[in-house]
Amino acid sequence: MSALLQRRLSARDLSELVAHAPTQSATISDEHRASLASRFRAVPSTEHRRLDAWMVEQAGRPPGPFAWTPATARRILGNNALRRVMREPDTILGAVRDEIADQLLRSVNGYARAGSLGHWLGGVAHPVLGLITAEAVNWATQALECVQGLEAGWRVPASDVYYDVATARTTLRGRRDVVVGADAERVVLRIRSGIPGKSAGHGLRSDLAVETLAHPEGVAPRRYLGLWPDAGLILGVEGSMENVRSGASDFVRAAVAQRRHGLVRAA
Amino acid sequence: MLAAQEPELLIEVLRGDRAQRPRRDDTIAAGLRALIEDHVFEVLGPQRRDSALVVTSSTMRRSDSRLEMSDISLGRVRGVAISLLLRLVVAQVHVENPFEDAVRAWRGERPQDELLGVVEYLDADQRARLRADVEAHFATLTRCLGPIPSNWWPRTSLRARQMFGGGNVRLHDVVDLAVGSTHGDFASVALVDVTTSPLDAGAERVMRFHALVQTLRTSIVPLRTSMFSSATGELWSLDVDAEVLMRAVSDLVEILTTARSDS
Repeated sequence: MSALLQRRLSARDLSELVAHAPTQSATISDEHRASLASRFRAVPSTEHRRLDAWMVEQAGRPPGPFAWTPATARRILGNNALRRVMREPDTILGAVRDEIADQLLRSVNGYARAGSLGHWLGGVAHPVLGLITAEAVNWATQALECVQGLEAGWRVPASDVYYDVATARTTLRGRRDVVVGADAERVVLRIRSGIPGKSAGHGLRSDLAVETLAHPEGVAPRRYLGLWPDAGLILGVEGSMENVRSGASDFVRAAVAQRRHGLVRAA
Repeated sequence: MLAAQEPELLIEVLRGDRAQRPRRDDTIAAGLRALIEDHVFEVLGPQRRDSALVVTSSTMRRSDSRLEMSDISLGRVRGVAISLLLRLVVAQVHVENPFEDAVRAWRGERPQDELLGVVEYLDADQRARLRADVEAHFATLTRCLGPIPSNWWPRTSLRARQMFGGGNVRLHDVVDLAVGSTHGDFASVALVDVTTSPLDAGAERVMRFHALVQTLRTSIVPLRTSMFSSATGELWSLDVDAEVLMRAVSDLVEILTTARSDS
């Protein structure tokens, strides 16, 4: 497992981390995928498992019930707004309002299923909608401020990455906010709130593993960088085979811990 | 320079004279970090503390005035309400009933907040008084704020967290309003703290603290730091330079020294 990179979150440091990323990254094969699937199959589960880097960081502890709040909605709305701003020049506030209007329209037209963001937005009070707008504007502005100084081309992906582990009733989710550079030589950025904890490196390696597994040719990004604007820090891992392996092992460990928690709860 | 402004709009003060803006300073932050680390080591020593010393802008304010517990709670409720209303105004949301809108926004954001429970259990008289109070503060805020252009990149309730001494000291900060970008050739970031109390000596320390934490967070020195009182309509503003930041470090060291002798 290679060391965790740490830099201050500044335009110069981020540009350097992108520009000086290793030219070669790992490529996984069908054997790697099959080996991972067999390890997951060895951890039986009665229901479909969904694992992400957050659960790895929490040592497999199951998260509480999900509820939409301005804080949980800001990432989706903020990233979508940022994509709009890149597509057609607008202010961030304008883009966030357009995005919320689109979601509301979907809800009004009956396209938003129960529990979705659009469905929730359709039912909140006017002042809460204002607060959601404020949170999403903060997210999009911070994201733009982080990447604006980059010399390389970047894009905001339309969704996170998901990987279904074959015949293991398991879905892995990798969060990503910005992808820098062309597909084969990409560097992936993930933006986080607060301060990085002791398990932040494990979380980044897990995201790296899903990003690699979900790639059609199994090519890992050159680097996976976590940006913590609140703390002004960047932590990063390189797309080496040992980091991908370590991330995948962390997922398996999280699945084992999750099963143990489930058994304790059932007892 | 501390400028006390009253009749001018807040956004005019934030904009200032564009020709007078200094060049962006991205060199001082590393030195400040090293200096704070040295001071933290001198004051607290190398041992790992059981719990971190958390320094916030409230710690910096240090009011000596004694208030009844219920007054403190109502004061905090008023503070949270005005902070939420500022967010709505900056997001260009029409506020019809300031008190009701603030409470609804609050409930939507943090439904389990204990302080929100204080509002639920107020009797009719207390609730009416609080409503009138929030409306008066909001009227002052909207009169003095002025429209914030959305191309100024306004961010509200901007959080920052910094750790020193291996986690022995944590600086937690929330700036009510930040505008401007760190990317230009000239300094353009302005920070605003909105308080529902009158401005006092502690306000200057708070302004310096915001400037220090913002510098540490972004590695770029902000243009100015301001504090607005919705109680009096008063606005204090400081242009941030090396001297202001060094004084902020001294304020921090003083707080740490006091905290060490108290523990």
